[in-house]
Amino acid sequence: MLARTADNLFWLARYAERADFLARIVDAALRLGALPKAYGGEGTEWESALSSAGALERYNEIHDRIDSTGAIDFLVFDERNPSSIVNCIEFGRTNARAVRTALTIEMWQSINNGWLELKRFQAIRRPGQSYDREQLAQLIDIVKKTSLDFDGSAYRTMLRNDSYFFQRLGLYVERADNTARLLDVKYHMLLPETEAVGGSLDYFQWTAILRAVSAHTAYHWVYREGVKPWLIADLLILREEMPRSLISCYENIARFLDAIARAYGRQGVAQRHARNVFTRLSNATMKDVFDIGLHEFITAFVEDNNKLGADIAEQYLID
Amino acid sequence: MRLTIRHETIFLYDPPAKAIVQTLRMTPRSHDGQHIFNWRVDIDSDCRLDAGEDAFRNIVHTFSVGPVERLSVLVEGEVEAFDTAGVLRGTLERFPAELFLRDTDLTIADEAIREFARKTIVGSKTDLDRLHQLMDAVHDGVKLSSEPRRADASAADAFALGSGHAQDMAHIFIASARHLNIPARFTTGYLHLPAADAVQSSHSWAEAYVQDLGWVAFDPSLGQCPHDGHVRVAVGLDELGAMPLRTASRSGASQSTSVNVNIRQSQAQWQS
Repeated sequence: MLARTADNLFWLARYAERADFLARIVDAALRLGALPKAYGGEGTEWESALSSAGALERYNEIHDRIDSTGAIDFLVFDERNPSSIVNCIEFGRTNARAVRTALTIEMWQSINNGWLELKRFQAIRRPGQSYDREQLAQLIDIVKKTSLDFDGSAYRTMLRNDSYFFQRLGLYVERADNTARLLDVKYHMLLPETEAVGGSLDYFQWTAILRAVSAHTAYHWVYREGVKPWLIADLLILREEMPRSLISCYENIARFLDAIARAYGRQGVAQRHARNVFTRLSNATMKDVFDIGLHEFITAFVEDNNKLGADIAEQYLID
Repeated sequence: MRLTIRHETIFLYDPPAKAIVQTLRMTPRSHDGQHIFNWRVDIDSDCRLDAGEDAFRNIVHTFSVGPVERLSVLVEGEVEAFDTAGVLRGTLERFPAELFLRDTDLTIADEAIREFARKTIVGSKTDLDRLHQLMDAVHDGVKLSSEPRRADASAADAFALGSGHAQDMAHIFIASARHLNIPARFTTGYLHLPAADAVQSSHSWAEAYVQDLGWVAFDPSLGQCPHDGHVRVAVGLDELGAMPLRTASRSGASQSTSVNVNIRQSQAQWQS
């Protein structure tokens, strides 16, 4: 396979996954913003949504204050934000068109339909004015559905060859990055058991984290008790059964990199690096993580994940 | 080296055993020197297989069955091992290394072993040198025995006899190292030798702790540090602590056990 084709497939999957994550954090921030002021909310939900999306710096260059209207506009519509939802779908579709023949009809249709739907919604864009909640909810739904549809059609219709492996690899690298960034922004709220914990606002913050990775129900299935911050960290880092946890992402990354290595009969630094990260995650306990410091652990993980992205690019995506 | 391992143990009981309890330490963990692609434990009787870990964080499975005439315990999986010149990184360590200075019944250094250890290391300056000399000396000084192994043979017994199996050589190595105040432990696993006629088998070797370097593996029966044909499964203070399979059975008088280990190299891969 041409390096260019692999590159397009990899990034197509990354953009589709990223669009879904952005839709979820906008959704979670809307929920938090809807809490009555009596809960003591400080109104920082949009700042943390922007930094989970990795868009805070760019936002501050363009806007001088953070409010819900500006943040929604920036995260959803703004073309000056390289990872706004509109841009993710746009770039995803551009990548898809470049490798149209490597995709199945269903995959192409899902991303193209999502793109067309978004075009329709761009008509409602009103920078500077507040958005209609119902229309926003519809739009978020459509973005989530587009990602689900794309992911599902890839899973159900794609031939299991290197195209599929690269597509999956992109998805899991992006997903690991998203979960890690979400944890990094919220780490100060996920302290170990020994730390003092806050009141009802914290509870809503924690459930917002869970909702952002659609793990609210999963949490209760796994732990069968009230929402505890250190258990959220455990769920999102070390639980293999949780599909968005760091370890689950790396289990898959190691598996698909191995499949690529087997298909090509050669392996290299990307495989070794991914296996090392996976091994370290599977040997770690939550106590180890808190001993190192959650923030330090996540920072090191994000670096490792970026290195993996670079290793994959070096090994497969650049000709 | 990418290895496919299949290890089947079959127990025959006549008359049938009323009840059998087994503890398996047969599941390897990944670390920087090896990667487990997949691994499974398969018991051919209906039973509940409980997974857990022991004090040294080896993965342990326990189950009980009965009554049975024939029981087969199969573990199989695919592993990639790398040559790290014996140096172990990324392993799970729960205790300070000094814990592994502790003597056990099988690894007591008697006068003969103590003298052997002292004589062997004359002239070497670092612990790493001493350990390498010790490994060579055990390899040269103890003949590989072809007799079936006595289950409770200690380091001192094998040393007095001058011959033994891989387990005995590891015990002698461990007893000597501990006498020299170097923490050492027993390791079980699998060994794949490229030669076509080589016996593919479970294997035992030892690990010793070197300041500033960490745990380093030594294979006294092979006379070299473990390479990319070694798959590390479990560790313990001595053979009993790391034994792959321990059985207790009620009644079931005459029993015979057959072990069938098959390790082969999977398709070759280029490393870049």
